Amino acid sequence: MSDLAIVDRRFIARGEERASTLKFALWLVPWFALLAFGIYAAFLCLYYGLNQTNMDNRFAFGLWIFLDLSVIAMGAGAFFTGFLVYILKQEELKPVLNTAVVVGLVCYSGAVAVLMVDVGQPLRAWFTFWHPNTHSMLTEVTFCITCYLIVLVLEYLPVLLRNRQLQKVPSFLIFEHQFHKLVPVLAAVGAFLSFFHQGSLGGLYGVLRGRPFAFREHFAIWPTTFFLFILSAIAVGPSFLLLVVATVEAVTGKQLVAPSVLRKLGFISGIMLGVYVAAKSIDTLVWLNITSPSVGFAPWEYYAYKPFGSAILFSEIVLLGLFPAFLLIFPKTRARRGWLLFAATLTCGGILLNRFVLTVQTLALPTLAFDEFLKYTPSWQEVATFGAVVAYGVIVYSLSYRYLPLFGRSKGENKHVPVG
Amino acid sequence: MFPWVDGFHWTVMHVVFLTIFGLVLLTVFSTFAWSLFRTASDLRSHRASEVCWRDNFSQLPEAERHCRHELSGRIIHRICPNAFDCGHCELYEAFAAMPVPVRSLNAGVEYSDKLLYHRGHTWVLPENDGTFTIGLDAFAHHLIGQPDTFKFPRKGSDVQHNGIAWRMTKNGHEIRVRAPLDGTILAIGGPQFGWYLHVKPRNPVDLRHLLQGPEVAGWLASEMDRLQIQLRAPDSPPALADGGSLMPELMDDAPDGNWDEVLAATFLDA
Amino acid sequence: MSARYGMLIDLDRCTGCGACMVACAVENNVPTLPARATDRTGLTPMLVHKVSNGVEGSAHREVFIPVACMHCANETPCVTVCPQQAVEVDKSTGIVMQIPQRCLGCRYCMTACPYHARYFNWWDPAWPPGMEKSLNPGVATRMRGVVEKCNLCHARLHTAMEKAAAAGKKEIDMADYVPACVEACPTNAILFGDLANPGDPVSVAAHAPDTFRLLARLGTEPKTYYKSHRAWVRALAERSPSGQPTEAQHV
Repeated sequence: MSDLAIVDRRFIARGEERASTLKFALWLVPWFALLAFGIYAAFLCLYYGLNQTNMDNRFAFGLWIFLDLSVIAMGAGAFFTGFLVYILKQEELKPVLNTAVVVGLVCYSGAVAVLMVDVGQPLRAWFTFWHPNTHSMLTEVTFCITCYLIVLVLEYLPVLLRNRQLQKVPSFLIFEHQFHKLVPVLAAVGAFLSFFHQGSLGGLYGVLRGRPFAFREHFAIWPTTFFLFILSAIAVGPSFLLLVVATVEAVTGKQLVAPSVLRKLGFISGIMLGVYVAAKSIDTLVWLNITSPSVGFAPWEYYAYKPFGSAILFSEIVLLGLFPAFLLIFPKTRARRGWLLFAATLTCGGILLNRFVLTVQTLALPTLAFDEFLKYTPSWQEVATFGAVVAYGVIVYSLSYRYLPLFGRSKGENKHVPVG
Repeated sequence: MFPWVDGFHWTVMHVVFLTIFGLVLLTVFSTFAWSLFRTASDLRSHRASEVCWRDNFSQLPEAERHCRHELSGRIIHRICPNAFDCGHCELYEAFAAMPVPVRSLNAGVEYSDKLLYHRGHTWVLPENDGTFTIGLDAFAHHLIGQPDTFKFPRKGSDVQHNGIAWRMTKNGHEIRVRAPLDGTILAIGGPQFGWYLHVKPRNPVDLRHLLQGPEVAGWLASEMDRLQIQLRAPDSPPALADGGSLMPELMDDAPDGNWDEVLAATFLDA
Repeated sequence: MSARYGMLIDLDRCTGCGACMVACAVENNVPTLPARATDRTGLTPMLVHKVSNGVEGSAHREVFIPVACMHCANETPCVTVCPQQAVEVDKSTGIVMQIPQRCLGCRYCMTACPYHARYFNWWDPAWPPGMEKSLNPGVATRMRGVVEKCNLCHARLHTAMEKAAAAGKKEIDMADYVPACVEACPTNAILFGDLANPGDPVSVAAHAPDTFRLLARLGTEPKTYYKSHRAWVRALAERSPSGQPTEAQHV
């Protein structure tokens, strides 16, 4: 083995099989290339201004906001799995908890990074903390996501400190030992914060009185989209997590968790998706028949423009909502891995479609009587930045999988020996 | 958000909002600060070593956690649930009372009945004045040969049982040798003296966890088996050798071996 | 002073000349934009739309509709959504003020505005050499990455207030406070006044028949009123009930 390989091996836990150093390096190269390209695109936007994108005064939100909403929804698996394991004592899901934390960290930090490029004056980001507007959903989002990102970093810390070489430092090991006891507290705080920011992200659209396509009835200060976003995030989180684990198993060629764990994630996702579909159906009916017509916007006109016909609504609720919910709830389909992964993919697709509809379709649709329906295609800089976030996620996860015990020890369950 | 900011005024919403976030941040940073505080107090006390060892032990593969009584032949099979802490093991008395079967085992490397052996391949020699001498056993010596560098703790400092007594490097590998008991260092030796540390033990002295006599042979034989499996050529099946002894300076003679694994398993390291 | 400044725009008088747009740009130091700017990335706090009745042939009719910030009076959408309070309603005038130095450029207010009256600085502001001499010293320029919109020529309000204060008067003289677009309009299609003053001509005209506001059903209480004798123009106030969009172009 070359010297580099020997040193590399030292950082990998004993008894764990990992790809050779060369193979791993080759795996990382294209992702780093994608990351570098995306960083270059982001740099162009920061240097020359947002004219580098295809966003404009009518499409003030574009691909990046869609990306942010989507990854934050899919990263909900982090808080929800933590909630299930630590608060609801679903011990069976423990093996995927570390993966959920890494996925969450990557999703949220990626979203925040993209946001810093998306806003016109990133250096003023702290102004929201100095001049908070408590009426604005976006203030709530900012506070919650900042706090939650801190929580995620702290939840990742014990996983990081479990690296073979890092844990040889006594203070790191003792700290991990002590901190680990308090992770349930962080899980509870994380669940609280996530509830609010997932909701507020939905609230962003539900309060838009000027956009009857997005505007919904309110319960106190919260529009129904607040609750629908929470439900959809909880539904998609476990599905995305199960897809990530299945992908890692396929790439590494190992069974990393018992299949029953993935099926359980699928089942939970299916139930929550069913609840979401029911809630959304009611909400849609109210919106189509009461809310929207009351301000003079007839519902069918929203779907008069290609390609956003009523097929989109049908897809969101039935094809990518009700259908995968059935597949995930019924044991026969859930037991078959192919169907499980297919259903999880459809679930993710449904939530992505929902985020897309609220971000892009809302802005495409006319409001004034003499507005026209608009089109928007992201520029290559926007797509490249998107790609950079994906690459960043893959790189961080790959490094975490290689050097950290994300799935516990592969040679037998070693119980934590209590200190006498 | 502060009273002196132009145009700002407090409302109920502001109070509620900022209180909630204040509480959240307080909770989050408290958990972190509390853990730091507990870490510092653990490090100051002698508990740190024990916590580290128990954690390291829990991560050792099963093959390295066999109970000494299984290795001595007293019982068929037992994986130690207790981090080799025979001093606090409820079943020690019962097992120790059982007879040791007579076996002709070739340990493969020399050992002495006068010495007490730690599972991390150090030996302890009780001196007449109540102090102890600590050395590296023949198994370890044969593996490493002459170490390249040494890093000893200062004279007068403490060693913790199962903590790191001293470090060595060989061919770019770092070796952390575990201390077989608690004590204060009186003198530092080296391979040229045949011993490494001279310590005054911390009272009360409990050496029940150290191996002695015939059980040492059983233990060393199993260590030899493990070594053979770890050092075999990648495509060859494990060869069962009956007899044969360990060649000295194995790290120099077989530089391509999986030394990372071998050293970690030998010295009970992660 | 508690005024509610608003406008009444007579659509039967508007010729679509665009003088209001130019005057607004000059008064507010709106920068020129690079050649690749489009009508969707332009900076036009006052924007005139050309709208037709959708009929071809001899029955084809057109109207020009100037649209600027409506200074919405009820739960102003942009004010409620701004995360850093970079938009405020001035209680004494009813003007919805934008604070460029505080704006983060998140563009949430732009999605909230149903009138599309908010514009983003997609580029660094730059003026061709020599043109900087024509800048209005009373109005601050904005930086790249912030949102801007009509602020009812607030600098002119300040000048009127200073004049009134110098003369020892509490109330300003409306003759001193005339926004640039109102001043420039060659047909006097734009009337500007105080809607809180029942005697003000705008206030009176706002209650006249044939007067409407855009998207009044949304409930934002816009303060720009429009007037037209033509029924098809008045029908542009709300979304067409048939759901068919009408053709529109910008001037």
